[in-house]
Amino acid sequence: MIDPLPPRDLPRHQWRRLRDRLATLLITAGGIGVVVTVMAIGVFLALEVAPLFLEAGRSLGWRELWQPRWQPGTLPGESPLFGLQPLAWGTLKAAFWALLFAVPLALGAAVHSALFMPPRLRSRLKPTLELMEAMPGVVVGFVAGLVLAPWLDRHLAGALALLICLPVGLLLAGLAWRRLPAAWRHRLPHGWAGLWLMPWLALLVVSALWLSPWLEALLFGGDLRGWLEAHAGLGYASRNALIVGLAMGFAVIPGIYALAEDALSGVPANLGEGAQALGATRWQSLWKVVLPAAAPGVLSAVMIGAGRAVGETMIVLMASGNTGLMTLSPLEGMRSMAASIAIELPEAVPGGIHYRLLFLVALVLFVFTFLVNTLAELVHARLRSRYRRLGGRS
Amino acid sequence: MIGRARLPRGEGVWPWLAAGSLALSLLMLAGLLFLLAVRGMGHFWPSPLTLVTLEDGRLLAGQAVREERQPNAAGRERLYLTGNRDLDGAIWRWVAVDEIAEESRPRDLVVLERTRWGSFQGRLLALEERGERVEGEAAWAALQARLQELAALRAERDRLRDEIVVPLVRRMEREPLAEAELARASARIRELQARIAGGRLLLESVDGRRLEQPLEQVLRAWRPNAMSPPAKVAAWGGGVWRFLAEGPRAANSAGGVWPAIFGTVLMVLLMSVVVTPFGVLAAIYLNEIAHQGRLTHLVRIAVRNLAGVPSIVYGVFGLGVFVYGIGGSLDEWFFADQLPSPTFGTGGLLWASLTLALLTLPVVIVATEEGLARVPDHQREGALALGATRVEMLTRVVLPMTAPAMLTGVILAVARAAGEVAPLMLVGVAKLAPQVPVDGDFPFLHLERKFMHLGYHIYDVAFHGSDVQAALPLVYATALLLVLVILVLNLTAIFLRHHLRARHGALPRR
Repeated sequence: MIDPLPPRDLPRHQWRRLRDRLATLLITAGGIGVVVTVMAIGVFLALEVAPLFLEAGRSLGWRELWQPRWQPGTLPGESPLFGLQPLAWGTLKAAFWALLFAVPLALGAAVHSALFMPPRLRSRLKPTLELMEAMPGVVVGFVAGLVLAPWLDRHLAGALALLICLPVGLLLAGLAWRRLPAAWRHRLPHGWAGLWLMPWLALLVVSALWLSPWLEALLFGGDLRGWLEAHAGLGYASRNALIVGLAMGFAVIPGIYALAEDALSGVPANLGEGAQALGATRWQSLWKVVLPAAAPGVLSAVMIGAGRAVGETMIVLMASGNTGLMTLSPLEGMRSMAASIAIELPEAVPGGIHYRLLFLVALVLFVFTFLVNTLAELVHARLRSRYRRLGGRS
Repeated sequence: MIGRARLPRGEGVWPWLAAGSLALSLLMLAGLLFLLAVRGMGHFWPSPLTLVTLEDGRLLAGQAVREERQPNAAGRERLYLTGNRDLDGAIWRWVAVDEIAEESRPRDLVVLERTRWGSFQGRLLALEERGERVEGEAAWAALQARLQELAALRAERDRLRDEIVVPLVRRMEREPLAEAELARASARIRELQARIAGGRLLLESVDGRRLEQPLEQVLRAWRPNAMSPPAKVAAWGGGVWRFLAEGPRAANSAGGVWPAIFGTVLMVLLMSVVVTPFGVLAAIYLNEIAHQGRLTHLVRIAVRNLAGVPSIVYGVFGLGVFVYGIGGSLDEWFFADQLPSPTFGTGGLLWASLTLALLTLPVVIVATEEGLARVPDHQREGALALGATRVEMLTRVVLPMTAPAMLTGVILAVARAAGEVAPLMLVGVAKLAPQVPVDGDFPFLHLERKFMHLGYHIYDVAFHGSDVQAALPLVYATALLLVLVILVLNLTAIFLRHHLRARHGALPRR
């Protein structure tokens, strides 16, 4: 920083200098104090967990921690089982389905707005998606658990129909757009497609739901759930990974979108323009030139999304059923680490083995998200220096 | 961004899927907001009451809620909210649409909102009070007048109890003289209670079962089918107002959310009082005073990453350090006479706000740092060249220019804190707090008390209530309220940031 000039030696100046020293000291102390406090979180969690492994007499082995059962219940005559495996499994499963839903949508949206959208519309769109990110988890979880879950319970075939109808309908829209007269095409520019496709998508949703009973009768003998159970061996729980994936996907889309869009639109423009000047279409230049250049940024966006999905508590708590199962099926529930903490920690005895184990779970979550985010940050820093080297805007 | 608009000839299907995924994301957001708005606001609208005659001659009166395909048959069935839990044992009734012979909306059907058994839907036969009996249309007019009277009496009774009796009882231990005053107030309350009690309503459900209803349990009565549109709007406004201003009833499944609003706002206020100075201090230290070396760079990255640490981890930290650690010690030192019942050694308002302050600290630090980085170096150099000390330079030149950025940071922190529920479940939220944390008793603000929170209220009512279906409209309304608060806060932050960018341009440093 810039150092101040030494003031002249007058009493008033001495006082000012003293005040300056004091205030600087105060700011330094406060700043370091805050930073240290914030950093102390991990240290504190580790200290609370340590007796679990160090204390003689009741220390746990890794074998015990890696059992496939988590039963901390305090029912009489039942010894508690503390296998962390189902919790880890549930967390990863929830995050997996969420990312499966969110990553394609978020990256598609990012590509569209970075490449095709007029800048003014883009600057309006970003705050809108920020609002989507600010949607509280408890509200999303409530809608998922109490509105979406009962709906999907009755309309599983409708959801399947949506999965097929939406992409097909989009492609139909694209085909139809190409056949439109030029004047119409001018009025519905491709850059605004993200907006004018919305009513079309809504129409598709309604018609897919309307068609789904016929589809179900035609393909699955009128009962998709029975068919799934008989042919694929998939049981159905009303609060399942599919719902968690949808809800948590909804919550992580905006974060991934924002970072990926930054990375894509930060690619020096001359790269894409050069490719197009050589005859590539916009999509070819994206796929062969822009995306490889921006890949680290896109990767870090996905990583940060994964960190968010692993740590999200309320959505999983409210939409997953919280049963400690170890299946891969999207139609069954799971119990995640964060949800277990929220449910069990208020009742755990301070200092007890259950209490410390939940602290261990929290420590694992902390370390995992911290590492993932740091890695993403490092990757991102690499990306920025790469852009600078490529001679574009940074 | 690339070139002018060209014909995307031969680009294949991918651009359309990309555009579609954006449209789908926006559609989901719009759908969620629309759902919350319609269901949340619709709850307060006095919806019409349908008298349904079934083919076999049975009658029922209810509000149609939704229609579904029948699970194992071709037809459709409709769900009616019929109320009358004391008569039927349930408040919902599924009816096959094919079985409905006739639907009508008689104007004389009444809906009563009661303190017990939920709502009543049916006909009013007579009103009996002090030996007088009023029947027919006159009974309706008499009922309305009497209900207004009752509301005034109840309000006075509650005011007496909250403002005079409860503080007196608390003071009793120290001031025995308060006893006379207390006796006077209690006598007055008993007198009011006697005036409230006594009346009776003679009611009849549409299928002819009769019911005697003590009038003191009736809160409101209306005839939805006879109301004019302006009257409905007025009733809707009244409903919204009661939702915002009243406390919950019937195990949180009815009534309003005022204590939750109060608790949320108070907690967030306390949090911002803590987080603003510390966040700004840390940002100033990192950006202006610390040596800009590798270590500072690492610390900056770490602080930024702490924003991505799951909120539940902060809750665990708060529980371990604040509640059991600091709170437990405070109890041992100052409140030893009350042990083993904890004072500060359990979740409470103070610990909740401190935990959330820690959680939102990175938000404030990052936003303030961004603001500090926007202040051009020549401003600092100019101030120093004119003889200012570093602190004078900071307080007179740099900080005023950073003020909007700090404000943005604090607003974003508040928006994040208002929506966080998971850490609060560990450090002090309550499903029903008997006492608001602020009252007339010294020290007026009770930091150790538990409090209610809008987000937790949603979770609790939606997942721990006895009849989720019945409480659902209330949950929608609460969720809408929470989302509105957060949207307004975020929009303010976005607006401020936009204003800031317009004034200072893009990032000049780094």
